[in-house]
Amino acid sequence: MNVEISDVTRRFGRTQAVSGVRLETGPGVFGLLGPNGAGKTTLLRMMATVIQPSSGRVRLLGRDPGGYGPRREIRRRLGYLPQSLGYYPGFTVAEFVEYFALLKEMPPGQVPRAVATAIERVDLGSRARSKLRTLSGGMLRRVGVAQAIVNEPELLLLDEPTAGLDPEQRVAFRALLRDLGEQATVVVSTHLVEDVGAACSEVALMDAGKIVFQGTPDELIARGEGTGAAGDAPLERGYSAVLAAARSATAVA
Amino acid sequence: MTAMTAPVRNRVPRVTGVVPLNAARLLGVELRRNTMPWILPLIAVLFWFDSYRPSAGTSPLYGLRTFWNMGQGHTIIDFGPFVAGVAAWMGSRDGRRGLADLVTATPRPRWVAQLVTWAATAIWAVAAYLICVGAMFAMYAHQGVGGTPPWWWVGVGVAAVTAFSAAGFAIGAYWPNRFAAPVAAFGGFLAMFLSSQTGFTHQSGWALILPTNSYDDFTGSSQTDSGIFYPWVPDVPIARIMLLAGMAIAALGLTGLPARAGGQWLRRAAAIVTLAGVALAGTAVGLARTAHESVEGAVIPALHDAASDAPISYSPVCGSAAGTSVCLNPAYGRWLPDVTAGLAPVLAEVSGLPGTPARITQVAASYPSGGSGPPVPMTFGGDPLALRLQLGILNMPGACGFCGLVTAQQFTDQIRLLFAHAFVGAGGAPGSPVQQAVQAALLQDAGIPIAAQPTLMRHVENYPGAEKGPATGPVYAAARRLAALPAAARHAWLATHLAAVRAGQLSLGDLP
Repeated sequence: MNVEISDVTRRFGRTQAVSGVRLETGPGVFGLLGPNGAGKTTLLRMMATVIQPSSGRVRLLGRDPGGYGPRREIRRRLGYLPQSLGYYPGFTVAEFVEYFALLKEMPPGQVPRAVATAIERVDLGSRARSKLRTLSGGMLRRVGVAQAIVNEPELLLLDEPTAGLDPEQRVAFRALLRDLGEQATVVVSTHLVEDVGAACSEVALMDAGKIVFQGTPDELIARGEGTGAAGDAPLERGYSAVLAAARSATAVA
Repeated sequence: MTAMTAPVRNRVPRVTGVVPLNAARLLGVELRRNTMPWILPLIAVLFWFDSYRPSAGTSPLYGLRTFWNMGQGHTIIDFGPFVAGVAAWMGSRDGRRGLADLVTATPRPRWVAQLVTWAATAIWAVAAYLICVGAMFAMYAHQGVGGTPPWWWVGVGVAAVTAFSAAGFAIGAYWPNRFAAPVAAFGGFLAMFLSSQTGFTHQSGWALILPTNSYDDFTGSSQTDSGIFYPWVPDVPIARIMLLAGMAIAALGLTGLPARAGGQWLRRAAAIVTLAGVALAGTAVGLARTAHESVEGAVIPALHDAASDAPISYSPVCGSAAGTSVCLNPAYGRWLPDVTAGLAPVLAEVSGLPGTPARITQVAASYPSGGSGPPVPMTFGGDPLALRLQLGILNMPGACGFCGLVTAQQFTDQIRLLFAHAFVGAGGAPGSPVQQAVQAALLQDAGIPIAAQPTLMRHVENYPGAEKGPATGPVYAAARRLAALPAAARHAWLATHLAAVRAGQLSLGDLP
């Protein structure tokens, strides 16, 4: 298992963002669904070793990120796209990706090729020398993906990766996700269920800091069948049905 | 198949031991995209207006030229606040741009990444400082400025720019928003303002450590003829560099303390670095408190190398005034004609009298330690008797920078006044009434009317006991009587009574 999370809790002051989460996943594309404020981003930040859990245990790529050495090894093998990614407006696309390749301690001699490859894979080859300030929001998102995959990560964490992408780019991006998932563990946090249906082999649904469902997309679809849950597509109905069931259970409790 | 659907490439193999090269490339990226170059033209213009231009209006001697821009630290003032502001902008960059998470999630500790960003910022600032100072010194060299450049003071400037960049960066790192830059810039300006103001009133003890501390008698920094007669004493600059380096180290250490900066050992290292910086700065202040003034400049015993006090050897440039040899340091060679022209009439007048110097030689200007009274620019001594002339104390002819234009006539009058004052034995005091009267008579005969003498005295810097009113009263009445005598009669009277005049044994009634 590349990701092993058990009984993880994270508090910010009095707010409990993540509560008793258990999660295990290996290679493939793993979708993390949930409404806004469900705790997806906090969970991803813990998996990215940006923040530590308040309690519980996290193991990534077979290592404990609590120790400096293992954490550094994890980070070398990690790709991360935060939800709200900023950028350095004066950098070019290539410089930005190169910058993070160097921060990921890639061998300098191999950085240029890796940067070019990453940029090509997000279809920004023609804009490699463009300053970031000249790019659209969708293009910037793709730059963020490029920096995340530049080191060919074994664990790739993408927080709302398709936000701002046009339909054509979203389709292309899902294909890229499937490719990446053949060799690495890709965790995609999103509230767009169609992304999950198209690219993920496994999905978890979070609500109020807890995982309320974990299974395949087909299993999620099955949860919505015959429930009359709201949604235009089967996956959306499954999503709505699981959420409704979880909330009613919480209310009863 | 679009580029986005291209197959996954093989993983890039990881190589150990590439960190230094990797960091160098990271530094290259940071240097290319640093904000500092954008502000440098503004700093360069300010440097030209505030540092170069005022200094270029002073006499062509390094000691004077660099008093304003190095001694009082205007080059630092021109750079510091802007450098601090831009460094704060760079320090706040990751937080402001929402990239802190992303940088934190990389294997390179965030503190190291921040240090690389800071290093690029500081390299730009220091390079710009050195280019500006280098261009200024090149202009000075082209203008034939005498003496040697104060390289240690340049070192202080470099350390100050570095410290400002580090302090600004730390402010930005701790307070990552758009107001960090103006706050840091204003803080830098305020620090320099307070440093300058303190320097005007406190020129000893701990205050010597302030990088802008140098008042108009150079106490605490150097002597006027530093770099001409003696090498620049590096003691106080070394202490100042220690202070500024300590501040920079402490500020950079502080940026490594937050939990996000790196692992526990790295944060411990940052804490040690911070404490080391504070200790270095504290040591520097302690050293400054032990400084005392010497003829070569301010000396800190613990840092002082006596071997560096050896006078700079030179071949004097010589001329003649009324048959008496006048030799100056070549740095002052351009004023030899003015000096000989000033001395010739008074030397001719006293020729043959006891105590007339056989030669006139320039010596290093030396401001005495605080409380010892004003400097005495002309003294007699040696065998055969020589007049020792401290030209560095005087306002030389030409532009004076902060004292207005000094004409050749004003300079020669100044020389005559000081010579007559020294010749009658008044030394560093106003002199007895008889000494004042004889002095006035000698000057009248040397071409300076008695009526004009009080004005002249008021305009000669550090002249002891300058007359505040017009040339009236018993002293000037006696002087007029003596001056009215035929030259031969006056010469004869002086030959007989000069020793008594110098000893202060005569009263005004004894004058003819």
